[in-house]
Amino acid sequence: MTNLQSLEFFIPELILTITILAALITDLFVKKSKTNMIGWVLGVGLVVVGLSVHNLSSAPPTTLFLDMIVIDPFSSFMKIVIILSTLLVIVASWVNDELEKYRKGEYFTIMGIMVMGLFLMTSSVDIIMLYISIEVVSIMSFVLAAYLKLDTRSNEAGLKYVIYGAFSSGVMLFGLSIVYGLAGSTNYFAIQDTLSSLDGSANPALIMALLMIFAGFGYKISSVPFHFWTPDVYEGSPSTITAYLSVAPKAAGFAMIIRFFHQVFSDSIGLTSNSIGSTDLPWPEIIGVLAVVTMTMGNLVAIQQKSIKRMLAYSSIAHAGYMMLALPVLSMEAVESIMIYLFIYVFMNLGAFFIVIFVKNKTGGESFEDFEGLGWKMPIVGAFMTLFMLSLTGLPPTAGFVGKLYIFKTLVGAGSEFLWLVIAGGVNSVISLYYYFHVVKVMFLGGKRSDVITYPPSTMFGLMIFTAVPSLILGLYWNPLASWVKDSLVFYNQVM
Amino acid sequence: MDSINSYLFISSMLFCLGLFGVITRRNAIAVLMGVELILNAANINFVAFSKFNGMNIDGHIFSLMVIVLAAAEAAVALAIIINIYNNMNTINIDDAAELKR
Amino acid sequence: MYRDFGTVFFAVIMGIVMVSIPLIISWLIAPSNKTKDKLDTYECGEEAEGSAWLQFNIRFYIIALIFLIFDVEVVFLFPWAVVFKEMGLIALIEMGIFLLILCAGLAYVWVKSDLEWVRRRIKYGGGRYKPLSASSED
Repeated sequence: MTNLQSLEFFIPELILTITILAALITDLFVKKSKTNMIGWVLGVGLVVVGLSVHNLSSAPPTTLFLDMIVIDPFSSFMKIVIILSTLLVIVASWVNDELEKYRKGEYFTIMGIMVMGLFLMTSSVDIIMLYISIEVVSIMSFVLAAYLKLDTRSNEAGLKYVIYGAFSSGVMLFGLSIVYGLAGSTNYFAIQDTLSSLDGSANPALIMALLMIFAGFGYKISSVPFHFWTPDVYEGSPSTITAYLSVAPKAAGFAMIIRFFHQVFSDSIGLTSNSIGSTDLPWPEIIGVLAVVTMTMGNLVAIQQKSIKRMLAYSSIAHAGYMMLALPVLSMEAVESIMIYLFIYVFMNLGAFFIVIFVKNKTGGESFEDFEGLGWKMPIVGAFMTLFMLSLTGLPPTAGFVGKLYIFKTLVGAGSEFLWLVIAGGVNSVISLYYYFHVVKVMFLGGKRSDVITYPPSTMFGLMIFTAVPSLILGLYWNPLASWVKDSLVFYNQVM
Repeated sequence: MDSINSYLFISSMLFCLGLFGVITRRNAIAVLMGVELILNAANINFVAFSKFNGMNIDGHIFSLMVIVLAAAEAAVALAIIINIYNNMNTINIDDAAELKR
Repeated sequence: MYRDFGTVFFAVIMGIVMVSIPLIISWLIAPSNKTKDKLDTYECGEEAEGSAWLQFNIRFYIIALIFLIFDVEVVFLFPWAVVFKEMGLIALIEMGIFLLILCAGLAYVWVKSDLEWVRRRIKYGGGRYKPLSASSED
């Protein structure tokens, strides 16, 4: 579709741009104590964006701006997940005491720009757009991670993030340049067309390029061996940003990977061994091993942590591993299970982080000692935390169980060669039980009982309710989610 | 001399130099310079492929985009490094090790 | 091709020789009388003071960063200028919107007083800026 015709389908992003500009300009006219208002501007804008995304989700799948990005139900689903998590994090930022010393105008504006990048990540079908969107998201997350200017821990998180991020996106860019050289085009569909007809002479270059590109992808979803930035950045950043980084860019990263593998390197059936160009590397096995190593590493290191925030950082690496389990199959069911897992993961992970924020506001720390006796001092918060921990472990009747169920069902259904992934996933769930329940144990069995019971303030309570209800309800009654995901399982696909 | 190989040779040399710089340097600004070398290696690749293989100028456009993004990235990184210097009086990445490794 | 490079090589050799001959001659015949004043750095007759490796004012970096961003954005004008004649009015409008967004950024920097050499107050003074930060923040 030409540029002018595309504008009609680009309305959500246009509204988002206007919202960002409005937030930027509003920031110039408000006092420091009133900068929460910019959060309102961005929040209202995002709600409108969400409505227009919903409006467009029934439009026929098509490409926009001369095959630069696509609009299809899959990208609409991911955009709605991103908007939901952003809205929750905006509300949490109002009550996060870490940010009190600073103006929040730029914080919210930058968050808006990041949403723009995430939107483009979910829908790009051109390596130019892919690189630009990754960089937009990365640069904005560098700023957000280092937002606490006076806090050396936040500075350090920003520095490490910049160095890892810039490096891995540079390596990815070099890989993309080789793919461009081999295929002679930047468009996914054209690349698929050319790569499938390559003879074996270009194999070494293609394999090297793919490994380099996977460095960029792996950095975005923090998979082993590109995860080294994750714990430090997650620990040093403001807690709201940690929560945000652990869900939204990860969702967009998975969307990007699925689209890339689905449209460049697979026939319509799945990611089979001989489908990536003419390379004879066993790709499903490689990705499977990476997934298993990712989640095992995340779980084993999470056990040793003393800070709950850092423990959740490692647990988010482990969850990336669970989602990666379904990538080697890459059938429609696999994509479906990843989407369901992502949607559930947004709620349970954000909920756990919100409780960490609340406890830090109250006690000033985020280590296990600060959680001692929490179940008796603040029973409501303790109960919510228990629910989130149950859900993150994946025990019934919580939503996390449904997510894992779908992943394992896909793997079992895909055949016996994926059975070892199921076993590895099961073993890892048991390992994760240990450290998630350590939190529960500390909350209810540790510390002294106190007679003074603290209740969370209303905004925090609302946030907890809003994340806890889906974490529970989706474990009992997930049909609406499943049917929504099934409806969204439509990719734009073009045969050259 | 007019073949694509010499350009690819230069770009892979630049890439390796950048990689070497990123891995060995401990000064944050030197690490950033290494990253810039990597990005420019990719730029040379894009332009060379576009010129020699090319039926299109996508490669040229891509390299323009990369230049702009690299500038934005460098600006943000330098701002963070300035801030670190104000707070810790060092820009050595090994000294910024307050978070547990 | 080798002939062309030969010319360049010859020019380089000649350049080196022509520069070194006067240097060698002056080294041979000039009287050597080294005093402290003669070896000192020449600063228009002033006494040289301190090291040249001093820290630049941090404001230079801030201004340089702002300049860098706006400078590089201009690169988008080149491909635009190439297709401007074919596209006509729409291209003009598109670039107008792009420049307007850039202007919004410039206005933001301006209002935040990052373009002034001496900032009215340093809002989040920490580290070296702690003494300079205003006692009451707005």
